[in-house]
Amino acid sequence: MSTPVHGSGFPSSRRLRPRVARLVAVAGAAALTTLAGLATPLNPAPQQASAADGDKVLTVAVAQSVDSLSPFLASRLLSTSIHRLMYEYLTNYDPTNARTIPGLATKWQSSSDKLTWTYTIRSNSKWSDGQQATAEDAAWTFNTMMTDEGAATANGSFVANFEKVTAPSPTKLVIKLKKPQATMTALDVPIVPKHQWEKVGDLSKFNNDKSFPVVGNGPFILTDYKPDGYVRLKANKSFWRGAPKFDELLFRYYKDQDAAVAALRKGEVSFVAGSPSLTPAQAASLKNAENIHVNDAPGRRFYALATNPGAKAKNGQKFGDGDPSLLDERVRHALFMAVDRKAVIDKVFQGHAVEGQGYIPPRFPQYFWKPSPSQELTYDPAKAAQLLDQAGYRKNSSGKRLGKDGKPITYRVLCHATDPNDKAVGQYLTEWWSKLGIGVTLDCLDNVTDPWLAGNYDLAFDGWSVNPDPDFVLSIHTCAALPATPKDTGATDNFICDKQYDSLYARQLAEYDPAERATIVKQMESRLYDLGYMNVMAYPNAVEAYRTDQIKSIRTMPSAAGNIYGQDGYWSWWSAVPAASDGSSDDSGSTGIVIGGIVAAVVVVGAGVFFAMRRRATAEDRE
Amino acid sequence: MTTGIPAPATGAGPRRLAWQRRRRSAVRFWAEYRTHRAGLVGLAALTLFALVALTAPLTVGSDVAGATDAPGQPMESPSGEFPLGTDRFGRDLLGLLVWGSRVSLLVGLLAAVLSVAIGALVGVTAGHFKGWYATVLMRVTDWFLVMPTLVLAIALATVLSRSLGTVILAIGVTSWPTTARLVRAQTLAVESRPYIERAKALGGGHGHIMSRHVLPNVMPLVLAQATLMVSSAILAEATLAFLGLGDPTVVSWGGLLQEAREAGAVSSGDWWYLVPPGIAIAAVALAFTLCGRAVESVLNPRLGVDR
Repeated sequence: MSTPVHGSGFPSSRRLRPRVARLVAVAGAAALTTLAGLATPLNPAPQQASAADGDKVLTVAVAQSVDSLSPFLASRLLSTSIHRLMYEYLTNYDPTNARTIPGLATKWQSSSDKLTWTYTIRSNSKWSDGQQATAEDAAWTFNTMMTDEGAATANGSFVANFEKVTAPSPTKLVIKLKKPQATMTALDVPIVPKHQWEKVGDLSKFNNDKSFPVVGNGPFILTDYKPDGYVRLKANKSFWRGAPKFDELLFRYYKDQDAAVAALRKGEVSFVAGSPSLTPAQAASLKNAENIHVNDAPGRRFYALATNPGAKAKNGQKFGDGDPSLLDERVRHALFMAVDRKAVIDKVFQGHAVEGQGYIPPRFPQYFWKPSPSQELTYDPAKAAQLLDQAGYRKNSSGKRLGKDGKPITYRVLCHATDPNDKAVGQYLTEWWSKLGIGVTLDCLDNVTDPWLAGNYDLAFDGWSVNPDPDFVLSIHTCAALPATPKDTGATDNFICDKQYDSLYARQLAEYDPAERATIVKQMESRLYDLGYMNVMAYPNAVEAYRTDQIKSIRTMPSAAGNIYGQDGYWSWWSAVPAASDGSSDDSGSTGIVIGGIVAAVVVVGAGVFFAMRRRATAEDRE
Repeated sequence: MTTGIPAPATGAGPRRLAWQRRRRSAVRFWAEYRTHRAGLVGLAALTLFALVALTAPLTVGSDVAGATDAPGQPMESPSGEFPLGTDRFGRDLLGLLVWGSRVSLLVGLLAAVLSVAIGALVGVTAGHFKGWYATVLMRVTDWFLVMPTLVLAIALATVLSRSLGTVILAIGVTSWPTTARLVRAQTLAVESRPYIERAKALGGGHGHIMSRHVLPNVMPLVLAQATLMVSSAILAEATLAFLGLGDPTVVSWGGLLQEAREAGAVSSGDWWYLVPPGIAIAAVALAFTLCGRAVESVLNPRLGVDR
C-alpha cells in the first residue's frame, strides 16, 4: 500500500483558483511532453542497422528461435533457410516452377537398374577460406550422416536407403542405393566442407556457432550470431551464380509481431514475414502505408486438425490417452463434417487462405488432389449428427452425447498458445461441436510437444510446410516413422499407421516416372482423407511485407504468385536489389502510436484535474 | 430444562443491544464516509459497474460471446450498429465489454477475498501464538513479500490448467503477505490490551480469544485491505489474461486486450479494440481504490486527519 500524499504547507483556499489553473497547465504540459516523447522517434530518418558505412544491409524481422546452426541438427524453418544461404546443396529448385536445377552438381544420371546415381560436381565453387569445393566434401557429408547417428538427426531420412557413397574424382560423386529412391534429385542436404568439419568431435553436440565467420560456399557467409538477438550474414562476392546485390543480410529478432510491424513502418527493418504470417488487420493497414508492399501469395503450408489414432510404438505397445470413440471412422468423419471450412477462411483468415481439400496444397499442382464428390466430407451438421447416432453415440436427455462408458464425450483439443489462429478456430470448434452434443476443452499451451509426443490428446491443430518434393510430409504418416518404444521420439506426426498407405508410400518412393509417381501420391492423399486422421481445413497464404524504398525488387517463388520468406532455395535474398537511395522517407501512418499518445494525454490531463480537485478539497477542509 | 429459566429473555437483551450498537456504528460509519467525496464517487462508479455486470444476462446475454453467429464483419470500426466496433470474429465489442465485466469483477473479488483470508489467518495466528511458530510464519511471509508477485503468479498459472479457478488461485496465493504483516501488527496491538488478559484469566482459550476478541478488532483493517486488494487483483487478472495465461474461451477485459494484440490491432491502429477494455480496467481499479481509501480513513483514526 502506498501512503497518500499528505498536503503540508499548502496555501489557503483564497489562492485556490490560480493554483488549480497552474496544476491543469502543468498537467497539460506533461501531456504535451508525453506526446512529444512519443512523437520524436517518428521524426528522424529511419536508422539503418549498418555494419560499415555505405554497406547495403537487408534487415529481416524474425521471431522463430534458431534450434541449431549445424546442418546436421537443424530442422526449423529459419535455421534451414539460413543453411540454404550458407551452403550449396547438390541440386536446387527453379524459382519459376520448382523443377530441379543444378546446384553444386551440374549433371546427374541414374544407372539402368535405378540403383546407382552419378553426380558431376561443379569446379567453380570455392569455400570462403579459398579451398575448392569438391565431390570429396559431398561424399564425406553423406558418409558422416550414414555412420554417425548424431549427424543423422535432421536429414537422416535422405540417406537411410544409401548403400555406399564415393568420390572417384573431385568432380564425380557416386551414390549406390539399396532400393530405388525417387528423391535423389531433391536431396535437401547442405554439403559441408570436409576440412573444417573433420575436426569437430561429437556432431550431436556441435552447434556451429563458436567461431565466425563460418566457412561456406553459398550466396552468404555467416559472420555473427546471438541467440534470439540476431543472425548476421555477409554477401559471398565470389558465389558461382553471381554475388548478391545486398552487402549484408541481417535477421533481427522481434518476438512480438506488432513490434516487427511497427519497426517496418519506421524503416528499421526491410522485411517482415510474421510468424507464421501477418494478421489480416496488419496486412490491411500496411496495404495503405506508403513505401510498403504487401505480398499475399498462396502458401506452401497446410493447416489441419489431427485426430489421435491411439498412439502406439513400433514394438506394438500402446500409450497415451486418446479418446477411444475417435477410433471409429464415422466419429472422425462426423467431427470434420461439422467444421465449416468456409467460415474458417472468411472469418479467421479473412480471405488470406484457400479452403482445404487434399493433403498437399494447390501450390504444387502436380501433386494437388481433390476428393471426388462421393467421398468429400462437405459441411453438413445434420448428417454429422446422423453419423454419430449410427456409430452409437446418442444424446442423453440434456443433449450431451454419451461415450461407450456412459459419460458425456468431451474432447481435448491441443492448440498452440502462440498461434492466434489456433485459438480463433478453437472457439469455432467449441461452438460447432457443442451443437452436435460434444464438449470441447481447448488446451492452449506454449509447449505442445510434450503432451503430443506422449499421445495425451484427442485432437490437435497441425500444420507442415510442404517441399516441392512431397516425400518428407508423406513419410511422417508411415508405420516406419512411429517411435521404437513409447519412450522414444519418432519422426511420426500423428501416430498414423496404415498398411495400405504404407505400401503406396513404398511404391511412390521407388517410382522414377514423375507422372506415375504423382498418381500414386494422389492415391495416398485419397487414403489419408478417407482415414480422417488428418483433416486439412485450409491452406494459409504467405502474407508478408517489405519496404519498397529499401528493397527495389525481390524474387518470389513461384515467380507468378509466390512467397519470399522460407522459400525452397536462396532466391529471394540472393536476388534482392537495394533501392537506389537509402530509404529516408518518413512513415505517415503510425496511427496506433499517435492514438496511444492521445490516450496518454487524456489520462494525464484527467489525473491532473483529479489531483487538482483533491487538493482543493483538502484545502477547503483546512479552513 | 428442569426449571423454566427464561432463556430467550436473557438472550434477547444482549443480542438486541448488540444489534443496536451495530446499527449505530453503521450509521456513524456512513455519516463519516459521506464526507469523503472521492469515496462517494468511487462507490457510485462501483454500483454502476456492479449493475452492469449483474444485469448483463438481460441486456446482452451470453450469445454475445458466440463466434459462429457473430453479427458483424471482423474488425469493423465503430458505427451506429456497433458503437464500439467489432472484434476479430465480428462480435459486438460493446456487448463483449459488458459481458467481460462479469469475469473481471468476479475474479477480482474472489482473488481479493482469498488473498485477504490467507493474509488474515496468517497474521492473526502469527500475532497470537508468537514464538517459533510466528517466526517461521513471518519468514515465509517475508519470502513471499520479496518474490515478484507477477512472476510467481505466471509460474503458477503456467503449471496449472487454464481456467478461472487457476487465475483466482494464482493471484490469491501470491498477494497475501502485505495483509498478513498488517494484520499481525494490529493483532499484537490488540493482544497487549488488558481485556485480553482478563479473558485469558476467565479461561478463554486460543480459539476464543482469536475469534471473539482479536478478529472483531482487526476486521475493519481487513475490510479496508480487501477493498484495496480488489483493484490490484483486477489488474493482476487483466495482466495474466493479457499475457495469454487465462482461459482463452472466457471473455474478460484482459483477454480482450490480448486478443486485440494478437490480431494486430496495435500496429494497425484499431483503437476501438484496445481503448475501451483498457479504460474499463483502469476505471474499476480506480473506483475500488477510492472506496478502499475512504473506508480506510474512516476506520483508522490515525489516517482520518487527511485522506
